[in-house]
Amino acid sequence: MKPFEYIAPRSLEETTALLARAGTDATILAGGTDLLVEMRRPNKMRKRVVVDISRVSELGGMITSDRSVVIRPLMTHARLQHSELLRIAAPLLASASAAIGSPQIRNRGTIGGNIMNAATCADTVPPLIALGATVTLRSAAGTREMPLSSLFLRPYQTIAAPDELLTEIRFPGLTADARSAFIKLGRRNALSISRLSVAAILRIGRDSRIAEARIVPGAAFPTWQRVTAAEALLLGERPSARLFAAAGACVSKEMILQTGRRWSTEYKEPVIAVLVRRALEQCAAPALPEDGK
Amino acid sequence: MTKIPITTTVNGTVHTLEIAPHQTLLELLREGLGLTGTKCGCEIGECGACTVLLDGEPVNSCLVLAPQIDGRNVSTVEGLMRANATDPLQDAFMDHDAVHCGFCTPGMLMSARALLAEDAHPDEASIRTAISGNLCRCTGYVQIIEAIKHVKP
Repeated sequence: MKPFEYIAPRSLEETTALLARAGTDATILAGGTDLLVEMRRPNKMRKRVVVDISRVSELGGMITSDRSVVIRPLMTHARLQHSELLRIAAPLLASASAAIGSPQIRNRGTIGGNIMNAATCADTVPPLIALGATVTLRSAAGTREMPLSSLFLRPYQTIAAPDELLTEIRFPGLTADARSAFIKLGRRNALSISRLSVAAILRIGRDSRIAEARIVPGAAFPTWQRVTAAEALLLGERPSARLFAAAGACVSKEMILQTGRRWSTEYKEPVIAVLVRRALEQCAAPALPEDGK
Repeated sequence: MTKIPITTTVNGTVHTLEIAPHQTLLELLREGLGLTGTKCGCEIGECGACTVLLDGEPVNSCLVLAPQIDGRNVSTVEGLMRANATDPLQDAFMDHDAVHCGFCTPGMLMSARALLAEDAHPDEASIRTAISGNLCRCTGYVQIIEAIKHVKP
């Protein structure tokens, strides 16, 4: 690795002041599972300063406030995977965290890094968007909060300024009558990059009809979004294999409308439809195991 | 570049060091402390050959920046030996022929050690998950899994 200046601030205030001074010269280090790989890549544009935020205690932990779950960016995938709170309030996020990398990667990698790195294959993002998450960015000048879905510009790029730091991820916990699923398709189980994934949430009313549906595919669109056309197909209907297959076909059609046909379309077109159907089936049959694979 | 002072515990020994900030934990262990049991494989966190325990949790030492271990506890494969005797986990690897070329072995041992610290009698599924970040290119996984199943307490 090429030399750089290393600073490990101890407080949020110190961190934002450092970032304000360093501007585009600085890069933020948390778990390091992406950054250390990037920094060793030849011909990569390098930053002069590495700001290690892993010792800023205000950026760690997870709490519930009102009915919202607040996750701080230094939470590791391993801690989210085993969180009792998420098992109830957002099981699809626990499943997605469990599907990332390997035990070694999950012990270091953080949810904040997964979001801010903004790779199209980031596994925590589809569940968070399905959950309606908002994020808070903070700089020395102040804070701003926005829906997670509007944080991303394009793959590997967010609207965060160089001196802005992600400080909080917040979403309303799922109600007891909601069911959720996260399915990831990779070339193998461990250490695989998502080829495609689907996060889904269904709420079925007392009349056995679908009262709420949210579907967010991963690695399918340039940035993440709910597929409202497919969700609309489900509302007011009774769950059935045929209905879920139709929703899958609709997601597939929307994907091609937005991305056009490319080399991978022949594969992704039928496969995303099947993943959506399976995710919805998992939601409708909560007895099925939900392990994210 | 300015050197960074750190104090860290490696295999129970406290070290006070001045390190270059762009060093990884893997480089510090192998080049700085001479602990060459930890292997350098892919250097991108995919092969697990460099697995060590950081405060008891398995991590890829190629993806930890050396200054990040200030004040923390590191265990490497060298730390498994106690009073010149091998760890029961190492004995099980030998008894079950779980070592082929041996390159993945230190990482496998550390991942297995962390699992056994949490669960003395893990089932096969937990063992497979625990070593899912460790590649064995001799593909000797069956013997490795059998060895971990049969560690004597």
